[in-house]
Amino acid sequence: MAEESNYILEVKHLCQHFSSGRGKNKLLVKAVDDVSFGVRPAETFGLVGESGCGKTTTGRTIIRLYNPTSGEMYFNGRDIAGPMTKDLRRYLTDNIAMIFQDPIESLNPRMTIEEIVGEGLRIRGMKDKDEVRARVHEMLEKVGLTEEHATRYPHEFSGGQRQRIGIARAMIIKPKMIIADEPVSALDVSIQAQVINLLNDLKEEMGLTILFIAHNLSVVKYFSDRIGVMYYGRLVEIARGDDLYRCPLHPYTKALLSAIPEPNPITERTRKRIDYDPERDHDYSVEKPTMVEVAPEHFVYCSPSELEQYQKQLGL
Amino acid sequence: MMIDKNKGLPEEILNLPESSFEMVQTDEIKDEKFKTKPIGFFKDALLRLQHSKISIISFWIILSIIILALIVPNITGFTYTEQDLAKRNLPPKIPGLENIGIADGSRVLTNRKKDSLSDTNRYPEGSIIEIVREYESKGVAMVDVKVDAYALAGIEDDVYHWFGTDYLGRDLMTRLFKGVRISLIIAFFSVITNVIIGVIYGSICGYYGGKVDMFLTHFAEVLDGMPYIVITILFMILLGSGMLSIILALCITGWIGTARLIRAQFYRFKGREYVLAARTLGVPDVKLIFRHILPNCIGPLITRAMIAIPGAIFSESFLAYIGLGIKPPEPSIGILLSDGQSVLLQYPYQTLFPAILISVLMIAFNLFSNGLRDALDPTRRGEE
Repeated sequence: MAEESNYILEVKHLCQHFSSGRGKNKLLVKAVDDVSFGVRPAETFGLVGESGCGKTTTGRTIIRLYNPTSGEMYFNGRDIAGPMTKDLRRYLTDNIAMIFQDPIESLNPRMTIEEIVGEGLRIRGMKDKDEVRARVHEMLEKVGLTEEHATRYPHEFSGGQRQRIGIARAMIIKPKMIIADEPVSALDVSIQAQVINLLNDLKEEMGLTILFIAHNLSVVKYFSDRIGVMYYGRLVEIARGDDLYRCPLHPYTKALLSAIPEPNPITERTRKRIDYDPERDHDYSVEKPTMVEVAPEHFVYCSPSELEQYQKQLGL
Repeated sequence: MMIDKNKGLPEEILNLPESSFEMVQTDEIKDEKFKTKPIGFFKDALLRLQHSKISIISFWIILSIIILALIVPNITGFTYTEQDLAKRNLPPKIPGLENIGIADGSRVLTNRKKDSLSDTNRYPEGSIIEIVREYESKGVAMVDVKVDAYALAGIEDDVYHWFGTDYLGRDLMTRLFKGVRISLIIAFFSVITNVIIGVIYGSICGYYGGKVDMFLTHFAEVLDGMPYIVITILFMILLGSGMLSIILALCITGWIGTARLIRAQFYRFKGREYVLAARTLGVPDVKLIFRHILPNCIGPLITRAMIAIPGAIFSESFLAYIGLGIKPPEPSIGILLSDGQSVLLQYPYQTLFPAILISVLMIAFNLFSNGLRDALDPTRRGEE
């Protein structure tokens, strides 16, 4: 890929396989299979795909909640796929933070908000309680909560508030990058906008890079600079947000886009859902598919004959 | 492929100027303060505990039994080893109650020759209260007679054995509360040891999983398979019969249940998103175990420990019953019960009082632990 040195996070041929059972019963699940992409500093990279396609696993592997099966990952030029040392754990946790999907599940019900948000500071050696408290209050203000909320337990908050607490927890260590794992999919629509706008503001204020994992295409479109589409553990298309929505190339992307409801009752009535069946849509028996740059900044996973067809479509 | 989403819409909708749109929500989010007062975890738990009447009653029952166990043996005026064969098997006699016919130290003697009643050597003056039944057997006049057992034994009027005496003439109330003291000590020590070992063992099993878990679980399984009576006897041979060998015997397998419980809780909680979140913040393992996962096990752990206390008292009683108890003359509830049951038909009160006490203790512990579990679970707030 071009401009390699510009990437803050670079993932090359990442594989994450899970196995269960042994011998005859051994079952291998290729949750992430040969995924490569790069994220530029201060950009928002969206990762979309249906449930179970490996988006979350990719995110969790990057922050090393899982050990990758194979592949390379670089953050700011430093290898983060190697064996887990104390040093690497520290480097990762200092630079990358994660926001989780479920606002109820992701806050410890036995800890107060101050303990939850301040934990990142405390384990980084900040001993002074008043200083921690001051930083926590400052962060809570930023996400729209009040100082008084710090002494409360998570169950007293609404879903949107909890998600903002999750954001505060991630932001307080001042990371360079945030992995947002479906941060709004558990919230109702009005609150989604609130949380997304908050993320956007914080991103601009702190110059953050965001890897945004979601299955809701409208949210991703609103929020992301570039978008990667995943299907069955593979990235099938990467493009700038506008390009992807204006001229999707891969049949799976088309299928995804055709599933978005339209706010126009006249066309919505006649909207056609495009099916995607990899067996029918691709013939990879002769030609093997690879990731090819069809147009500038627009990568598609395709075979040479498909490439020709795509180029024709783009009018190149 | 271009997707035109706007086809078919009327012109005036398509060309709406931007000024006719209005932001519903301003960029600044500002939440209201909560109107309720903030309270800490344990204060909150205490508040909820106080709402449960049963827990409060149970708590006071447990507390009063403990206090009684501490003071009663010192104020009855008897010691738990003091023997007096003249006073053996006396029925209960309680000041105040004796005047209304309950616990007045009387006993019904059956099949006595009517003639012998006038023999003042056998029946001192004032010992016969009333003749219950008169009948004739083989030409001899027989009676069932209600006697004052205290007067019959030649004891002064102002001596009171509230719960009666046993077969060696020892005061049962002194022995019972002394026994409660010993039983509770055994129970508390064995439960505390079990909880500590179980928590550490279970945490390691559950948190690390995989091969570590497999090895440790199988080891516990093997230990669990050993008959604990045999182990108890071995301890008795090695250390002599005493409190220490009983506690050790109760500990040898007692922690396995706790370890299993904690292990299961760890498997349940270690994959939770908040644990993952803490890991992505770089929280070290020890802190994850004790700060994030273990507090969630506190509810079931406390319930289990509380239920284990009467369980341990029962186990101790069982060991005493089959003759593996602590060394006589030390009493324990179990020893009193096993002594009492051998004369259950003649002197039922010797079994009655220890049985009532152990039942009350067990019920109170169970109810109190239930209340405590509910109180310690903040997610259950408002369910009652």
